[in-house]
Amino acid sequence: MIDKKEVNEKNENTSYSLNDDRRVRVLSPGALVVKRFFRNRLAVLGMIMLLSMFLFSFVGGLISPYGQDQQFYRYESQMKEYAGVVKNSDFRYTAAEGEKFDSVLQAKFQLALQKGQKVFNYKNVKYMIKEEGTDFYSISSKGTMLAIACKDIVNADGAELSFNVKYEALKAYTGGQTSFTEDGTDYTLDEEGNITAGDTVVGYISRFVVSPVDNGIVFERVFKEELEEAIDAGEDEFTYTDAEGSENTYKITYDPTSQNWSVKKETATYVYDSYAKPSKAHWLGTDTNGMDMLTRLMYGGRVSLIIGFIVVFIEVVIGVILGGIAGYFGKWVDNLIMRIVDIFYCIPSMPLIIILGATMDAMKVEPMTRMFYLMLILGFLGWPSIARLVRGQILSLREQEFMTATEACGIRVSRRIFRHLIPNVIPQLIVTCTMSLGSTIITEATLSFLGIGVKFPFASWGNIITDVNEAYVMTHYWFVWIPAGICLLIAVLGFNFVGDGLRDAFDPKMKR
Amino acid sequence: MAAKKNTGEITFEPLTYDPQYILMVNHLKKYFPIRSGMVSRVTGHVKAVDGVTFNLKRGTTMGLVGESGCGKTTTGRTILRLAGEKTGGQVLFNGKEVYDFTNKEMRSMRTKMQIIFQDPFSSLSPRLPVGEIIGEAVREHNLVPKAEFNDYIDQVMDNCGLQPYHKERYPHEFSGGQRQRICIARALALNPEFIVCDEPVSALDVSIQAQIINLLKELQEQYKLTYLFISHDLSVVEHISDTVGVMYLGNLVEYGETGDIFRNPLHPYTRALFSAIPVPDPTVKKQRIVLEGSIPSPANPPSGCKFHTRCAHCMEKCKKEAPIQREAEPGHYVVCHLYDK
Repeated sequence: MIDKKEVNEKNENTSYSLNDDRRVRVLSPGALVVKRFFRNRLAVLGMIMLLSMFLFSFVGGLISPYGQDQQFYRYESQMKEYAGVVKNSDFRYTAAEGEKFDSVLQAKFQLALQKGQKVFNYKNVKYMIKEEGTDFYSISSKGTMLAIACKDIVNADGAELSFNVKYEALKAYTGGQTSFTEDGTDYTLDEEGNITAGDTVVGYISRFVVSPVDNGIVFERVFKEELEEAIDAGEDEFTYTDAEGSENTYKITYDPTSQNWSVKKETATYVYDSYAKPSKAHWLGTDTNGMDMLTRLMYGGRVSLIIGFIVVFIEVVIGVILGGIAGYFGKWVDNLIMRIVDIFYCIPSMPLIIILGATMDAMKVEPMTRMFYLMLILGFLGWPSIARLVRGQILSLREQEFMTATEACGIRVSRRIFRHLIPNVIPQLIVTCTMSLGSTIITEATLSFLGIGVKFPFASWGNIITDVNEAYVMTHYWFVWIPAGICLLIAVLGFNFVGDGLRDAFDPKMKR
Repeated sequence: MAAKKNTGEITFEPLTYDPQYILMVNHLKKYFPIRSGMVSRVTGHVKAVDGVTFNLKRGTTMGLVGESGCGKTTTGRTILRLAGEKTGGQVLFNGKEVYDFTNKEMRSMRTKMQIIFQDPFSSLSPRLPVGEIIGEAVREHNLVPKAEFNDYIDQVMDNCGLQPYHKERYPHEFSGGQRQRICIARALALNPEFIVCDEPVSALDVSIQAQIINLLKELQEQYKLTYLFISHDLSVVEHISDTVGVMYLGNLVEYGETGDIFRNPLHPYTRALFSAIPVPDPTVKKQRIVLEGSIPSPANPPSGCKFHTRCAHCMEKCKKEAPIQREAEPGHYVVCHLYDK
């Protein structure tokens, strides 16, 4: 019992004594700031947003299987105008060898035919018209045959057919005969209009004119025949296997006003897989150049964040040095530096950057070098506000008694500046930097959007959004601009939240 | 006009060094320029310290009293060369002119002469732990070998009533009295001979004031320190000082042993000042001397004796001729025409 009591007393003693280890843990100002910062929910949210953006940009790029400028292709089948087919309703004229049958005579012939005359005159020459068969006439003058006019067309298959062969073939075709003889050769005609000499097909007769849309294409006869058959049968689609064995489907559409059929062929073209919808392969689809959008967002984030940091770093280095010198030494040095700051404030930065961007365009600066120039320009234009801030802070700190104390203690000037002045400026500096990181990213995005910032092949959130310069893209391909916009929003909002949180945390009066 | 000219250009004999005095101040002047207009032309001077003369014996405390704005603090800072260049006069510290040192010499001299500030809140760098604040200058001047550094700082802190674990703490975690102890420790760590105490207790409440005053006295005995104790609290000054100087508008009007001054104030201003000390006895009917008017601007001080505008014993001479310091009693100096003989 007694032992227990003693133990209890001992315990009580120990629990109430204030040994060094039992005292409230001592927190440095830095630790206090961290503590206050993490109590601010919005700031922590901003921190999480920033961290996720950093992971997304810097780690994501490593994980992503694609490169930032890797382009993807796809086969696109298009119904392409392939051939036009016209059912011939006009007379086609074939002049005999050595004769001419020009357009005036053709017109006279048409006129005579309409009037039902068998004879017409032109320049005191008499022309005779003879009906050889249905829609088949021959025109002769002074006993010699000048030309034939027919609505059916004799197409040569290979070597050109002579006038006489054509004449005989048409005569047989229109007359419903199946064979004819010309110049000692026997030809046979089948009902489809094929002209065969011996075993070889030398030509065929048809009323359809099939002409290719693209130059340089010669249709196979079989193709034409099948096409004509399909048209005759009134089909609107037919398949044809060409000599190389590839089967294609053709679509036939009839246009009653021009009275012709247009044949469309399904052709596959190898194109950039642009504006592909989100899929397993491309989670956020592809952009106009057929690059994976997600990967580009990651690399774009890298560029945007790195540019933000480097620009702010340049601003801080110049701003702290010049602001510090101005604030510490005062007098004419201060006056000079602050007038320089005023001058920098007068520079309209946007037009200047646009002009410089255009100059770089004209000089064809490499995209990489261009990026560095962009950082330098933004940095050199942004330092005055930081210089002002640092100068103001140092001016007020310099008059504080602890600075007099350091002088009274005989502490070196460099130590006075770096141990006593700068640490007291850092809180405001950090807050300003965090805020200006956000605005720098926005500026960079704006410039890239306008096409004077980061250039292809480098991605940046700004130039990703550039694709949306057409209303069509904006309304139809949400995945091109919404994710990049969200990335920008998250990053800038994150920086602002963290900046606000830091400002509150650094303010010692905020004892939440 | 003639009188004004005289006051402006009092010539003084250069001092000869007397080893019993650690500090000899002779006709010390510190003017601050007033700039105005577009080109910041100097249009006048604020004569913050306008001819102060006194000697300070080793191991003693001199109290410097006077109303607000009379130049007490500026005197202290000018002696330590903390307010830029002096305007005139001499400051001999251990027989050497403080303003003749090069910057490098001055830096090492800083360890010998220290200052404790009025405001313990703004005089400590907020971003440094206490150990660093106290030890920084020690390390800077290599006063102690590295191995002994920590023990030395602990020792100094202990002397000033601080615990070793306070070293890692930051100034914002301390109360005003503790902060003032830190300030004292910082000054003491350099092992100085002379400390300017610039109203070290006026920002503290009365009980803490007593602690700090007693601490200062203990340290003085222990380290044979010499203090220049600036205060507007007469009872504190009476308690701590061996000699007292009374300042009015940049001038040291009276200066002597504490006992002499408090028992027998000679200068009309001192008399008026001391009549304001409250007596903790309700039966005593006090004869309060009330000064008329307010303190004139130090930028445009009255001609002749600066106090003549408010003095009850003002004579024609006072308006024209500036009085010079006279030894009215042995070791009791006064600047007043009443004692011209």
